[in-house]
Amino acid sequence: MKTTLGIFVTLLLAVAPAWATLGEYESSVSVDRQYLRGEVRQQAMSGYTVHRIAAANGVTVREYVSPKGIVFGVAWTGQFAPNMQQLLGSYFSDLEQAQRATPPRRGRPLVVKTDRLVLVSAGHMRGFHGHAYAPDLLPTNVSAEVVR
Amino acid sequence: MSSRDHSRSTSVCFLLVLAAAITLAACGGGNNTTTTPVTPVANSATAEVNSGPGGNSTNMLFVSVNVCMPGSTTNCQTIDHVQVDTGSYGLRVLSSALGSLDPSTGNSSGLPTIQDSSNNVLQECVQFADSTYAWGPVAVADVSISGEKASSVPFQVISANPLYSVPSSCLQLGNGGSLGSQSALMANGIIGVGVFPDDCGASCTASSSSVPNEYYLCPSGKCSVATVQETNQVANPVVYFPSDNNGVVVTLPDISADGVASASGSITFGIGTQSDNALGSAKVFTVDGYGEFASSYGGVSYPGYLDTGSNGLFFLDGTTAGIADCGQTDVNFTGWYCPGSPVQYTVTNTGANGTTGQAQFSIANTITLFTNGSGGFFAFNDLGGAGGTDASNDIIDLGLPFFYGKSVFVGIMGQTAPSNATNTYGYFAY
Repeated sequence: MKTTLGIFVTLLLAVAPAWATLGEYESSVSVDRQYLRGEVRQQAMSGYTVHRIAAANGVTVREYVSPKGIVFGVAWTGQFAPNMQQLLGSYFSDLEQAQRATPPRRGRPLVVKTDRLVLVSAGHMRGFHGHAYAPDLLPTNVSAEVVR
Repeated sequence: MSSRDHSRSTSVCFLLVLAAAITLAACGGGNNTTTTPVTPVANSATAEVNSGPGGNSTNMLFVSVNVCMPGSTTNCQTIDHVQVDTGSYGLRVLSSALGSLDPSTGNSSGLPTIQDSSNNVLQECVQFADSTYAWGPVAVADVSISGEKASSVPFQVISANPLYSVPSSCLQLGNGGSLGSQSALMANGIIGVGVFPDDCGASCTASSSSVPNEYYLCPSGKCSVATVQETNQVANPVVYFPSDNNGVVVTLPDISADGVASASGSITFGIGTQSDNALGSAKVFTVDGYGEFASSYGGVSYPGYLDTGSNGLFFLDGTTAGIADCGQTDVNFTGWYCPGSPVQYTVTNTGANGTTGQAQFSIANTITLFTNGSGGFFAFNDLGGAGGTDASNDIIDLGLPFFYGKSVFVGIMGQTAPSNATNTYGYFAY
């Protein structure tokens, strides 16, 4: 068995200069793209824009941007879970707080529902699904159901 | 590390090679049009839903597994209450359940471990979707269940007192807590017998362009992500069986809608390999690269899967499913469903192969179920909860309640399937 990951870890750190995303400006999407080392496809919807990042490891992240240019939601599908600290930015502490307050139970989805953050992580080994959004940041006339 | 460890490392490699040779011989017969008959072995073990080792497990399906020093039939430990999980791949056992075979503290009588050329022991960190995690070394053992034996199969030891602290890079979903105790795991181990042959696959190998934070090496106590060839990854033990190695059949009896204290069924190894595991008229739903088929309700399609490791039917959300969330009456039960009277649902599953078929289930009031039998019931066929929020509905997770009253087949990717099934990524059938 060979360890070649020393090199990999260095590369990864080099392209992850800042944490960003949920609640941040649209420009943070490009940071996530670099972090995920993926391709971005942009799609304009009624009242919002979706950036779809397909990462090299098969993880797909969708970021939802309001007309004001703020990321109000993220969703993911993949063989592995993406890094929440990266995707949630300042909202990651809300996730941590919720996990401390109500320790997750085995075998059921992780559901966090606070005034600031709604997050679901579901699925199984080699098949992760989830989404998170900031209720306060939803654009007018856009339902949270678009974040999926 | 001592020279004794070094020689053990070498012998592991030898044993792995030997196991591969046996597998090849077994597969060779399967590729011919006339299959060489293999002397049938006992391929079915009792699997039971009960209150678990801590008396607080709900809808968890358990088997006993025998773990032996490779090559030995006497230096063994029987591990009871190992959870059968069709939603994961590979055996994971609490270090505390392994007794003198526990290798995680450097015990000289412990099982051999997978090591690199510098004798660093391979460690694994698995984070489940619920954000809990299992952390500990990868060891090698002969694993037996019923008459089947997986020789020198890599499995994970979940450490109660890990030698190294868990790498933060593994906790992608935040820290949902360690599963390194019986009370957290609510079992002594997990036997992952789902559609994939191992717990990472090609993504964790050196040829992958992007390796997940799952396997680690910790030279001088500093853990970094490692690439691991598939033969050294924690493996679905079924693929290591000499025969009956292409899948499993989980069979559970029908039970009362009120719930019962326990339910006894079976896990049978192989599909279409012996008289007791024929597919028969079961419909085959092949899965995609995530191990899922499409499941639709109300004209909308969601990812669907059959998971004995989920203790409920995690079905959409209360608003979309038209069912009350228990949180409205008792905040402690938020996320579980609490309808006034049981609600019947029918969803349509569509495999990657185009096969369609219905799945029917009922969801009852969780709080009522938990008080039935004076709180002494631990098996329910109608326990359900949210797989999403009131805003976004994204999965239909047919958990253990769905398995009562039927036989469910789980076909493993890459293994020879019966003629009426295909298995690019494996399949479910019922």
